Amino acid sequence: MKRVIAVLAASTCLGSAAFGDDDRIVVGFATAETGFMQAYDKPAQDAAMIRIAEINEAGGLLGKQIEVVNADTKTDRAEGAKAGLSVIDAGADIVVVSCDYDFGAPAALTAESSGLISFFLCAESIKAGIQGVGPNSFSASVLAPVQGATMAQWAYEKKEARSFYRLLDTWTEYNKGICDGFDYMLPQLADATLVGEDTFLNEDASIAAQITRIKGLPEEPDAIMLCTMMPGAVSAIKQLRAAGINSMILNGSGVDGSYWLSAVPDLSNFYTPVQGSIYGDDPNAEVTAFNAKFKEATGGDPSTQYTYPGYVMIDVWAKAVERAGTTETAAVVAELEKMNAEPTLFGPRTFTSELHHQNQARYLIVETNAGKPGVVDEWTISAPIPVADLMK
Amino acid sequence: MGSVMQVVFDAASLGSLYALGALGIALIFGVMRLVNFAHGDVIAACVFVLLWPSVDAVAIVFAGNLPWFLLVPFVLAMGAALSVASEVVVFRRFRNANPATMMIASFALGFVIRYFLLMLYSSRPKSISLLPTLSQPVEIMGARIPLLQVITIVVTIGVLFGLTSFLRRTRFGLEMRAAAENFTMARVLGVRANRVIMGAFALSGALAAAIALILGSQTGTANIVMGANVMLMAFIATVIGGMGSLAGAVIAGFLLGAIAVVMQVILPPDARAFRDAFVYGAVILVLIFRPQGLLTARGTKERV
Repeated sequence: MKRVIAVLAASTCLGSAAFGDDDRIVVGFATAETGFMQAYDKPAQDAAMIRIAEINEAGGLLGKQIEVVNADTKTDRAEGAKAGLSVIDAGADIVVVSCDYDFGAPAALTAESSGLISFFLCAESIKAGIQGVGPNSFSASVLAPVQGATMAQWAYEKKEARSFYRLLDTWTEYNKGICDGFDYMLPQLADATLVGEDTFLNEDASIAAQITRIKGLPEEPDAIMLCTMMPGAVSAIKQLRAAGINSMILNGSGVDGSYWLSAVPDLSNFYTPVQGSIYGDDPNAEVTAFNAKFKEATGGDPSTQYTYPGYVMIDVWAKAVERAGTTETAAVVAELEKMNAEPTLFGPRTFTSELHHQNQARYLIVETNAGKPGVVDEWTISAPIPVADLMK
Repeated sequence: MGSVMQVVFDAASLGSLYALGALGIALIFGVMRLVNFAHGDVIAACVFVLLWPSVDAVAIVFAGNLPWFLLVPFVLAMGAALSVASEVVVFRRFRNANPATMMIASFALGFVIRYFLLMLYSSRPKSISLLPTLSQPVEIMGARIPLLQVITIVVTIGVLFGLTSFLRRTRFGLEMRAAAENFTMARVLGVRANRVIMGAFALSGALAAAIALILGSQTGTANIVMGANVMLMAFIATVIGGMGSLAGAVIAGFLLGAIAVVMQVILPPDARAFRDAFVYGAVILVLIFRPQGLLTARGTKERV
């Protein structure tokens, strides 16, 4: 951690020194250091810093040490644009922006208009990329619809789920994305049926009426596709189980983590897709080694899988820079777009000139059984979700 | 029959939550014409007192580990204490200010409480297992519902009866009703204003704590903005119930809960996402036909 801080301190001092100086490689973080987004940005940024430290230790990028500059978006969209400008002024070659599309977009748009690459730390909307920002914008995570599609296909193939119930929290685009992926996949699964659907709002104090509708079905569904996120997810899961509904619950990655499991003691039959396991049982031993490194650097284990995209981001960007032999935007973007199933610690990554995001990805399936989460399987959807379906 | 009862219980339990919130707001409005927008943040604070301050993802449960017979009074006392403190520290300085000024002050106080919680606990929602035995399903009249729903309804009815007899049968209650009806006259006749107002704040804070306990055990989550939604619904309930009318606030609270649940049941799937729009539409209808609210508090008539 000391090293990370040293790099940070050194780079912040140097930051304003020389704009456009080609001797330096600078990663600019226009992310939330304060406000509610901080809880989401910080872990991914810490992971990114670990990858930067690794690269620097191994001799740097193009023979130069990677420097880092920071600006706080304060979880505010107007401040986000200012933070973007501030890191660009400090000489950033790549602008890393907040996890969420809405909060990251202002800084990403600033980078786009300055002709720089922007990378969303872990946004999972298709808008976080070409479609919502421009041709130089990327996201380090996987599209939300892939999560819904993965869970539907996996539950069908591996758990023989045939009757599905769709419960959507209409709060965010992310939630809708999960259900969109589920909707895309379901018709492709022979004899799988949607026995019912309902919506709720993340902040609803009670989802009793929605539960009554599920209980009104002639038979309990095999699986409930729950498209929601924190904090409402905990409330919904707790209420579903409290009402005696024991169906398999399928989720997006947003509910990963064991920090909330105390709220629903002995939760079972609960499944989540993750890019890597925080539970120490990842099939790739290097992920477990990364977790140890993360703990050493930050003092705590990763609390969710959303830590990992930060690492992937620096990894793929640095590879593209290495291959291009420059940090110049057009060349690096071209190299990134050549990546087809590029291996990373957390599964293969593909970027094309049409999509700067993952519309197919390998996911580990985490099952929570008697309150204990653990990896039970991995799954990659049989075909990428077409961009046209993602734009719905 | 079972499914109808299920809907009735769903509506009654959600309505109870709104009614308790509305009561907390109406009590204070009654005695000092203050719409206390900090009420929602007091609710959130009451959940957080169960946790030890930390910005970690995992909540460090502190007072939350108490047995229920200590936990419940502890939370109620903390709610009352915080509410009384807000009156002593903030609202007392605004005693002669106009209602709009006081309302702004209450917003400000709400922000202070919320950001204080943000500082101590971070913005990350925390999970807690509060009174887990209440999550067991029970069977009543063919409906299978979580025990917590039954308790919420019973507690609300209990609070209503308790409060009614307190206001009708005790000297303090009489003073409070007198103050609600005509504050200046009550003062002239020897009602000690500060005591009455502090009493109202204490009751209101304890009601906020009761909501915190219900919300906390229902959702299993402590979140710094968790009171906002209930606060909004409760405020609307006090408006359509007739500002300052306790009975009106309670009736309107139950009505809102019932409308929300019934809308969720009868709307087609595509329209359900807009359930709240229909609920607020119903609110507008009520206000068009009864702009003064369902019941009118006697004290407010000549002042508005």
